[in-house]
Amino acid sequence: MTHLPALNSTAGQIPRGVADYFWEEAFRRRALEQTLLRHFRRWGYSDVLPPTFEYADTIAARGNRALQSEMCRFLDRDGSMLALRVDMTIAVARLVGTRLHDWAMPQRFCYAGSVFRDVEPRAGQQREFRQAGVELIGSAAPEADAEVLALTASALRDLHLADFRIVVGQMQYFDGLLQALQLGPERRALLQQAIDRNSEAELASFMQGATFTRRQQRAVQELPALSGPDIPHILARAERLCLNTTMHAAVLNLRAICAVLAAYGVLDHVSLDLTEIHNLGYYTGITFEALAPGVGYRLASGGRYDNLVGSFGPPQPAVGVAFGLERLLLALPQRATHTPGPLAPDILVATHNDPRCFALIEYARGLGLHVAVAFGPHSDGALWTVAQRQGIACALEWHDEEAWLYEKSATSQPFARTVNDPAALRQRLLTLAHTKHGDMPDAGQQGGSL
Amino acid sequence: MSAAPLAPPASLLIALPKGRMADQALELMAAAGLPLPAGDPGRRLILSSANGALRYVLAKPADVPTYVEYGAADLGVCGLDTLRESRRQVYEPLLLPFGLCRLSLAAPADRPDTPLRYASQPRVATKYPNLTAEFFRARGVNAEIIALNGSVELGPLVGLADLIVDLVETGSTLVANGLVEVRVILQSQAVLIVNRAAYHLKAAAIQEVIHQLRGACTPHPEPSTSKHL
Repeated sequence: MTHLPALNSTAGQIPRGVADYFWEEAFRRRALEQTLLRHFRRWGYSDVLPPTFEYADTIAARGNRALQSEMCRFLDRDGSMLALRVDMTIAVARLVGTRLHDWAMPQRFCYAGSVFRDVEPRAGQQREFRQAGVELIGSAAPEADAEVLALTASALRDLHLADFRIVVGQMQYFDGLLQALQLGPERRALLQQAIDRNSEAELASFMQGATFTRRQQRAVQELPALSGPDIPHILARAERLCLNTTMHAAVLNLRAICAVLAAYGVLDHVSLDLTEIHNLGYYTGITFEALAPGVGYRLASGGRYDNLVGSFGPPQPAVGVAFGLERLLLALPQRATHTPGPLAPDILVATHNDPRCFALIEYARGLGLHVAVAFGPHSDGALWTVAQRQGIACALEWHDEEAWLYEKSATSQPFARTVNDPAALRQRLLTLAHTKHGDMPDAGQQGGSL
Repeated sequence: MSAAPLAPPASLLIALPKGRMADQALELMAAAGLPLPAGDPGRRLILSSANGALRYVLAKPADVPTYVEYGAADLGVCGLDTLRESRRQVYEPLLLPFGLCRLSLAAPADRPDTPLRYASQPRVATKYPNLTAEFFRARGVNAEIIALNGSVELGPLVGLADLIVDLVETGSTLVANGLVEVRVILQSQAVLIVNRAAYHLKAAAIQEVIHQLRGACTPHPEPSTSKHL
């Protein structure tokens, strides 16, 4: 094939912020996605596959300004503005609000797929990135928040992320504080910035220009301290600082959720942070993020959004979480000494186009073994060389009257065996399958193999 | 310190900006009683304290916020100017009492004293393109930002730029090059920055460092309420 000359400068390139994934890394991604989905289904969640793009207004009307500015927009043929999905939550809320509002509540959905945000590619975030998550719609009970938090914790535990933490905030607490302080938009932005940056100096300069009562002063000044793993202490302190019923409701809500989390046995992984005020624009109650050592940014995040479904149909309270697959992969223990390459099959077979051999291959594939067929004639032993070069631990060379099986023994010394007994061959394949599934149960699907 | 039900306090990695600010940071840390790098640095890039509780990495100043945002370092010390220019998302709990300077807009001394907004498209040379662009955008001026890596004062002299934005400590460099300070864009000083994840994952150890540094910054530590944790 001749190499075509580039017609323009972008021929053969890919746009900024998207990537090709291939070989083992593509497999790891897919496997992680499947592991998470299977985990979600075990908690009673049902699959949903939202469209990849929607009317831009559907998304823009629900997100904050930052999210709106990150939408990837394009025109439909009739001139309407479309946008790639920025998350799955809005689509699921639309689905329930417009079509499934009369189905029994609560409804549980799980999903996995790409979402798109037009951001400068940075720490663990490209323009296309993959999320897997759940939405629990139709319950405002603290048990619902706790379920999503516990599901998040158990998913991370199943992935063998031992030292993760889930940091939980409550939007209402800060909202209530803003209400009580009755700030103008400029002062409000100052306070938000000081809290978001966790900056003592900015908070101090905010306080200087203020005419607050002593109670209000304390509520602002002690807000940065309402963060950490000592939950009872923080809740008690937060309660003393409450200025109105909104703030009080937030504390009661957190206390109720933590009680359920304790029953789930995951409270050890939970920290509180009432200064956590990041908001995609639709969160109304708890917000949370999952953190793990070695990755400087959140692996999963979520929260309660009680007004989102209602913007499409009859109102329904809801809570959900989304895991960032790219970030999660960074946090998972890597198999250190692995050179990149295609996923090696378990067996390479030269068939000699013998129907008995194809029957044997089908048997092996039925056992869950990955079997690749080698083409072309191979001189004696050449197949084993090919197999080794591709990292395949077993090769089967079929001849008219006999089959040669090459295997790497425990001491990594290859050896050849002449096998002309079909029953013995099947037995050998069965052992191989057992070894494979024993070590890494069901490698095609299990997260443990990652 | 309240007893946190966390894993044993992991060792903290602190990124310091190479140069004078690193020395000042180490001085402050010594005053705060924090363990300093042990032994002769030689050519090693990561230095450990004697008890291993703190590890230090010396980075290019502009890279410190990057190290900390990615979590490669748990903590860092850098100037507010560098931090704002980098737009990195980190916590910045504590201002530190050194590295005081200001980021200023300067013009040739013979520039007529007219408002900036009268210039239709001024050319501005700077090492701080983001902060400079923000400053002019906020005033509705479409400035042409010329990003340089040093010797910014040279810009107006050789006709590269009409104005410059640069750090000013005493102002003598400006005067020597026939420039005058027109506006202060940012009052800068050193700031302690913390990775957002580490802040929660290593809460106890990090709060301890913040607390000790706070004590060293203020001559008479108040009976602080925010000492908790």
